[in-house]
Amino acid sequence: MSIKENLYLNFIKDDRYMYLLSGLKNTLLITIVAVVVGILLGFLLAYIRSTHDKTGKLKIPNLIAHLYITVIRGTPMVLQLLIVYFVIFASVNIPKIIVAFIAFGLNSAAYVAEIIRAGIMSIDEGQFEAGASLGFSYTQTMLYFILPQAIKNVLPALGNEMIVLLKETSVAGYIAMDDLTRGADIIRSQTYSAFVPLLMAAAIYLFFVLIFDRLVKKLERNLKSSDH
Amino acid sequence: MTTETTSPLIEVRHLFKEFNNSRHRDLKVLCDINVSFNKGDVAFIVGPSGAGKSTFLRCLNRLEEASSGEILFEGVNILDKNVDIDRHRQKMGMVFQQFNLFPHLSVLSNLTIGPIKLQGLSQEEAEERAMKLLKRVRLEDRARSFPNQLSGGQKQRIAIARSLCMEPDVMLFDEPTSALDPEMVGEVLEVMRELAEDKMTMIVVTHEMAFAREVANRILFMADTNILEENDPENFFEHPQNERLKAFLEKMI
Repeated sequence: MSIKENLYLNFIKDDRYMYLLSGLKNTLLITIVAVVVGILLGFLLAYIRSTHDKTGKLKIPNLIAHLYITVIRGTPMVLQLLIVYFVIFASVNIPKIIVAFIAFGLNSAAYVAEIIRAGIMSIDEGQFEAGASLGFSYTQTMLYFILPQAIKNVLPALGNEMIVLLKETSVAGYIAMDDLTRGADIIRSQTYSAFVPLLMAAAIYLFFVLIFDRLVKKLERNLKSSDH
Repeated sequence: MTTETTSPLIEVRHLFKEFNNSRHRDLKVLCDINVSFNKGDVAFIVGPSGAGKSTFLRCLNRLEEASSGEILFEGVNILDKNVDIDRHRQKMGMVFQQFNLFPHLSVLSNLTIGPIKLQGLSQEEAEERAMKLLKRVRLEDRARSFPNQLSGGQKQRIAIARSLCMEPDVMLFDEPTSALDPEMVGEVLEVMRELAEDKMTMIVVTHEMAFAREVANRILFMADTNILEENDPENFFEHPQNERLKAFLEKMI
């Protein structure tokens, strides 16, 4: 079979490219929503953890946050996805994509939390003291002085987390979610040719990873220019 | 000299501080300190390293939590757990050895963020106040700069201006020139001298003895967890009473 025939068979015939396209749409959607959920929840967890480390307050919330982060980071993503789908939402009829949002978002939050916490802890104690000495409360100091600097420091790590998450969503097929990987696999099962559809999916992932990478680098540069 | 009969601005009563952590067990740093500062005082605290000078200063605005005792600031015991310390800190400016400017904010924003966020000033009002202070520390041309573009001496003058921008009733200086290159010490001391001349109440921890003698109206000698001697500059240097102080002054010369 020539390359041309191969491409025709795998992508054009019966509109098979649609498997990839709608799969890609889901993959990106899951990634973006999970990133947003992850960042929001991750911030909250990081705030609780670092407040406890800095001031000794929030004992119980810190215990819960610590447990949460340990469990999420200590178990496989696929298993977490299966548990959310087959255990937590077992008796509820809920769209699979929502399940994916929640599972990947909850997972990402644990990693984001640790990244941001590391960023907060890396800021010099003098910055906290300067804020306090002017009369800012702990939370205000965090908001106006610590987090802006912490986030700037950990931006590469956060960007990396987003890239990992994009690739991680490829396990969504385990709950029969039609993502990019599964789309390619469906084509493979129909055409009995694995090479072209799988490599195509890989190329698409790589393309978006490179775009994310570029965006993060650009953001980093913009933030740096405000701080010589 | 005018004599004021009003109560002191800061009154410290039976202040104790001990560190109790993994590194230091029951390490007594401050032991029964009793002292008061009046409005307009320019009080310098000197003494050997490890005497508790910085710890004492940091207890005054509770950056360091005292173990027991009372600190009355404008009549309120600010060591009381129910006191909103953030409000009182607005009235107590502090200048640090390491400057601690906010590196992600411009010089101007370093000054204005406090008045805007905490005192409800508008952007324009705050900038007007800030520019006056920048002029006073002779750095009005650096308003749009970022802290990392400044020299150490400039950073410290900005830090002083930032504290002044909150219009505090007292300024606490924690070894403000110790981290500076020698040639930059003068410009910072100059700003502090002018501040003292303007009758700002100042409590200064320093090793700059000559400067202390010149500017202070009171000098306190701290050693071994307590204030061992207090006097006016003249008598402090010429007629020291305490043996520890005599030894300390001899080493200084």
